[in-house]
Amino acid sequence: MIDLSPLYDLISHVLPFDCLRARFMQQALFGLILIAPMAAAMGVQVVNFRMAFFADAISHSAFAGVALGLIFAVSPHWTMPAFGLLVGLSIMALQRRSALSSDTVIGVIFSAVMAFGLAIVSRDRTVARDLQRFLYGDILTITDAHIIGLVALFLAIMAFQAWGYNRLLYIGLNPVLAEAHRVRVAFYQYTFAGLLALVVILSVWAVGVLLVTALLIVPAATARNFARSAGSMFWWALVVGITSAVVGLVISAQNWARTATGATVVLCGFAWFLVSYAVTLVRRPALR
Amino acid sequence: MNREAAVTFQNVTVNLGGVLILDSVSASAPRGGCAAIVGPNGAGKTTLLLALLGQVPFRGNIRIGDTPDGRRPRVGYVPQRLQFDRGLPMTVADFLVMGLQRLPMWLGVRRRNRDQARGLLAAVRAEPLERRILGALSGGELQRVLLALALQQEPDLLVLDEPAAGVDVQGGYLFCELLERLRRERKFTQLMVSHDLATVTHHASHVILLNRRMAAEGAPKEVLTPENLSAVFGLHMGLADTHAMPDKPSLSACTAPCCREDHHD
Repeated sequence: MIDLSPLYDLISHVLPFDCLRARFMQQALFGLILIAPMAAAMGVQVVNFRMAFFADAISHSAFAGVALGLIFAVSPHWTMPAFGLLVGLSIMALQRRSALSSDTVIGVIFSAVMAFGLAIVSRDRTVARDLQRFLYGDILTITDAHIIGLVALFLAIMAFQAWGYNRLLYIGLNPVLAEAHRVRVAFYQYTFAGLLALVVILSVWAVGVLLVTALLIVPAATARNFARSAGSMFWWALVVGITSAVVGLVISAQNWARTATGATVVLCGFAWFLVSYAVTLVRRPALR
Repeated sequence: MNREAAVTFQNVTVNLGGVLILDSVSASAPRGGCAAIVGPNGAGKTTLLLALLGQVPFRGNIRIGDTPDGRRPRVGYVPQRLQFDRGLPMTVADFLVMGLQRLPMWLGVRRRNRDQARGLLAAVRAEPLERRILGALSGGELQRVLLALALQQEPDLLVLDEPAAGVDVQGGYLFCELLERLRRERKFTQLMVSHDLATVTHHASHVILLNRRMAAEGAPKEVLTPENLSAVFGLHMGLADTHAMPDKPSLSACTAPCCREDHHD
């Protein structure tokens, strides 16, 4: 296993907060610094493609992923991402082929995977108790192995964003127009769906099923309010995502707060959103 | 198969959910000309375009002919009233650069690409729109920007869905006039869907009259006869008199077939 302690030492050096002295807090911070920008960057397209509900369906497939782990006696660390990936690609394939509207397709798959997961998990009382961990997430118990997985995914996501950002904008504007103009729409849509599924599932460990979508949507929505060009939208999403993660973690560790980390991070993101909304209100009369 | 045709439709049948939308349609668009697909609402005009663009499953054969130098033809598409997210913070310049550069826009826009985008806007006479937000454009402005995006493909075939819809008469007229000039300069074949007979009689060199199945095809004067029109539209439709259009100076320099000196009506 790669030794990550020099990285953690660096983090405590750069951010000399009392609460960040403990190793588990340094691990949590590093995990969040990886998850937040991934989610924020992918969130830009989630908002453009109107795929918030898609992300919700993937996060809820976490239960079924755990259930499959139980059935096949495999660690849920493997079954959750594998099943999430399968669900993501299946929804995309159905959406592209079916005459049903996309929210109907997602709704059907969403209910099926959720019911399957709950049916299996409810048979086992000890696991049922453990489910709370997935509902609210627990970034403070993140392990080095998990962090290495996140680093690999981080590199893949940023490479995809660097390579495909402009094409994804094209598809987000209008897929028919993009395809007529020789953009390989199917390739980008499937790659995006697969990578998004992995980001969502790995983020479930950090902030829980209930709040994953917020990590995607809130920074991107805020970025839309601040940005005035397609390029700056990306950077605003990253700034909002990362600052919310760091500030949220530090606040949640304070004695006066002692709140769940995931929820605090999302609340910080929402504070950013309110500021951005105020900016649009001020800016709008100037545009008239 | 017609070698002079830029596009050939052979027995194209589209059946969506048990509804027959196009029934064995065979037609062609002559190379370098302006072909118009005409018909009433629900005639399957847009469906025929979508089949051409590979967006609708169909039976039969659609062939986009190779260019004279044997290259695979490029297609530019100008949709009718683009459905898009108007809240997206994207400028017109961003919109045009999006298809030009691989480098993600969050790492900046290359000068070469920005200049190219400006050139495209100049070609459609829309330079002042460069810094405007895409979602804030009017229908006519958006149409010009979409035309610029289609021209970016350096198309051999330009496909337009209702180019005169959602724009006032004068605006639609100028847009068609602009298209006419670009078609001559850039030597592409134009294939458009239109329900506006005035536009068609003024600009098209070839008409495909459609009402789920082929009604007639050929030169406008041969196809748009009162008999054909009343058969397709279900009531008597006289041809719009193109010379009854407002006599504006900008229109007198029109290069459309009906306004050229060799045209005798």
